[in-house]
Amino acid sequence: MPEVLVPIGPQHPALKEPVNFKVIADGEIIVRLELDISYSHRGIEKAAEARDFVRVVPLLERVCGICSHSHTTVFVKGIEEAMKLEIPKRAQYIRTIVAELERMHSHLLWLGVAAHEIGFNTLFMWTWRDREAVQDMLEEITGNRVNYGINEVGGVRRDMTPAVVKAALARLPHLEERIRTYAEMASQERTMLLRFRGVGRLTEAEALKYGTVGPTARASGVTYDVRKDDPYLAYADAPWRVITDNHGDVFGRTLVRVGELHESLNIVRHGLENLPEGPVRLQPPRAAPKAEILSRYEAPRGELVHFIRTNNTDKVDRLDIRTPTLANWTSVAVTLVGQNLADIPVIVAAIDPCLSCTSRITVVDRDRRETRTLTWGELRAHGIRFYREKEGI
Amino acid sequence: MSILKEMFVNLGSKPATVLYPVEKVPVPEGFRGKIAILDDRCIGCSRCAVVCPTECIAMVANEREVEVKGKTIVRKKKPEVRLFACIRCGLCEEYCPTDPKAIYLTKEFAGAGTDKNITVS
Amino acid sequence: MEPWLLLLYVLVFPGFLFLLGYAFLLQFADRKISARMQARVGPPFLQPFADFIKLLGKEVITPSGVDRQAFGAAPLLAFAAVMTAFLYVPVLGGSPLAFQGDLVLVLYLLTLPTIVLFLVGWLSRNVFATLGGVRAVTQMFIYEVPFFLVLLGPAIAAGSWSISEIVLWQASNPWFVVLQPLGFVIALIGLQAKLERTPFDIPEAETEIVAGPWTELTGRRLALMHLTMDVSLVVGSALIAALFLGGPVSPWTFEPAWLSAALGFGLFLLKTFGILVVLTTVKMAMGRVRIDQLNDFGWKYLASLAMVQVLVVLLMNGWWSP
Repeated sequence: MPEVLVPIGPQHPALKEPVNFKVIADGEIIVRLELDISYSHRGIEKAAEARDFVRVVPLLERVCGICSHSHTTVFVKGIEEAMKLEIPKRAQYIRTIVAELERMHSHLLWLGVAAHEIGFNTLFMWTWRDREAVQDMLEEITGNRVNYGINEVGGVRRDMTPAVVKAALARLPHLEERIRTYAEMASQERTMLLRFRGVGRLTEAEALKYGTVGPTARASGVTYDVRKDDPYLAYADAPWRVITDNHGDVFGRTLVRVGELHESLNIVRHGLENLPEGPVRLQPPRAAPKAEILSRYEAPRGELVHFIRTNNTDKVDRLDIRTPTLANWTSVAVTLVGQNLADIPVIVAAIDPCLSCTSRITVVDRDRRETRTLTWGELRAHGIRFYREKEGI
Repeated sequence: MSILKEMFVNLGSKPATVLYPVEKVPVPEGFRGKIAILDDRCIGCSRCAVVCPTECIAMVANEREVEVKGKTIVRKKKPEVRLFACIRCGLCEEYCPTDPKAIYLTKEFAGAGTDKNITVS
Repeated sequence: MEPWLLLLYVLVFPGFLFLLGYAFLLQFADRKISARMQARVGPPFLQPFADFIKLLGKEVITPSGVDRQAFGAAPLLAFAAVMTAFLYVPVLGGSPLAFQGDLVLVLYLLTLPTIVLFLVGWLSRNVFATLGGVRAVTQMFIYEVPFFLVLLGPAIAAGSWSISEIVLWQASNPWFVVLQPLGFVIALIGLQAKLERTPFDIPEAETEIVAGPWTELTGRRLALMHLTMDVSLVVGSALIAALFLGGPVSPWTFEPAWLSAALGFGLFLLKTFGILVVLTTVKMAMGRVRIDQLNDFGWKYLASLAMVQVLVVLLMNGWWSP
């Protein structure tokens, strides 16, 4: 068959959210592809400039449904740093527990989705059933299964009663056993091995060159985890280790995520058992002093960065969000060339894409009816010119 | 092999599905469900309307005598919530100064309706 | 056989009406067992029938530029082929339409749905459908050779090309599942591939090429193709039950002939149901393989093992034949 343009997206059964791959395929092998993202742009960064620190937190929670706690935590962490606040230990622990529970539910979701992409719906059903245990824990602790609303500037909004702690601890042993089962299945099931091994291979050098983060990079041997390299919350207290792997392919990423599931469970257990006494919040000042903060966080998908600029007001002056999925798209575009069409959903799913968190600039010229994307050089020049003209920088 | 074994064990066990609405899901304490207002307690301070992130609470004119810290004053307004704009964050409940809270979230999770402009007051 | 009895056989029992009813029953069993294995509840009993009626009532959309008559006739062709194939498979003792060579006819008719799928995919003018159609035909080349070879085994051993006579041969000899176990396993794998079920649902891979050749089928055309696949399942299991598991022959003869026939029929139902359970378990326990991996697996293992099996049968035949 000659070269065919196969449109994967923006609507496609393999994708849970809209993204557009224009894949040029020669038979079953992919020759090249063009990537088009930013279908889920909602203007959150701009909307955040109009809301004060209390009302902006629920907005930021809704950047993404799966990593909602990540966005709020990294933001309030940044604001607390700008205000030079030291929040109570108990609040740190509660934030850590919810963060690791979020990581667990995200990885269990991913395991199900990866199995679904290769047609293995049984594992999909089973992992999502066990994920319900994590959701129930989150519901008891925070009051909701997604969008937990537990963060605020100055600490957390609710405390954990001893009954809640006990109930959460009681759910952990069964979860641990199920995670062990899935670890075994993921590394031994024949069709999973067939579809995942050797697919989407990314060497360590390539991973560093294309700026991949999170489990995608750690599966290529890059030991980069923000929780260890730039510790925050209660991660320095809990005994855990960074999971890396040397395979570099989708199989390696599976192993890394399953290993992280196990480590997260240990961190949750440590947190629940060693919850320090004390208050869970302190009253923050109303306005934040003039500061520029780069706040980093290890979201389930990788390194999440919020750039916050405050200016002695009770609102942010500028908020810029760089999500891990945005960093990982380049690796998808690179690793897809030369693979089979059948590998597209597998490789895309392997970076755990969260398209709600992805956005890039596309210049749309309505009069001339064309779209184009800016190159890095153009973007940089545009940014320097803009700030020079508008703000005299 | 463990996959086959688990499949056959599942064949003989009860499914994991909760047959809602015939069976009910247990809702834990502290669940953030549908919003409700206790009009007797409200003193009309408007804190809930100010703090709401989606601005779904409007203060409507409603005069009534209320007791605040032993003194009797006349409340001028009371809150009215656009039910389907409420994101159930609970900030209104947190900032309400009365005890028991005049505005609070219940444990009711089911909330589908056909009237987009329905209000709670 | 009397003409009106023959008409009854073909149209009602065990012909078309029974076939349709049994196809729905097996689809229900497949979906229910799959669901329970996944810890889900599964559909109610009449679900396959309800799905069929619902699809019949939906709008039929023909994409622009597609030959409407060919597109509409193709599912009918596939449906007619598998329904006819069932008439030669023994359900109640031997088939009254049996003749030497009906095994070849049944196998030929069973390949028609795949070819029709390719045709539909090609006609659809849709990139996903074309890719799916090509995959369907590629898959057919890979599994048909081992599938036909191992179904040859019982024919050679029983010395007949008629399915009914092979069944009769097994009434007084051990079943072929005992004599040719390798053939039985390969036949089951081949049937799973023919029905395009996981791990061989490559042409229809939902997450890769939307729905493959099924993409542009709507309304009653989709209903008919679905039904064709269900009927293929019945015919395929009945064929394997007849060739390897002894078919609808009761091991004990009873005085009233109809009692023996009824027992044989009950055994037929049991055997085909058993084959369905095995196929469903395989479907639930594995993910999908890639077409190039299937190519490797098919030619390296399936085809060579099938040839080994046929060689063994030929040798044994030479040894034991008078």
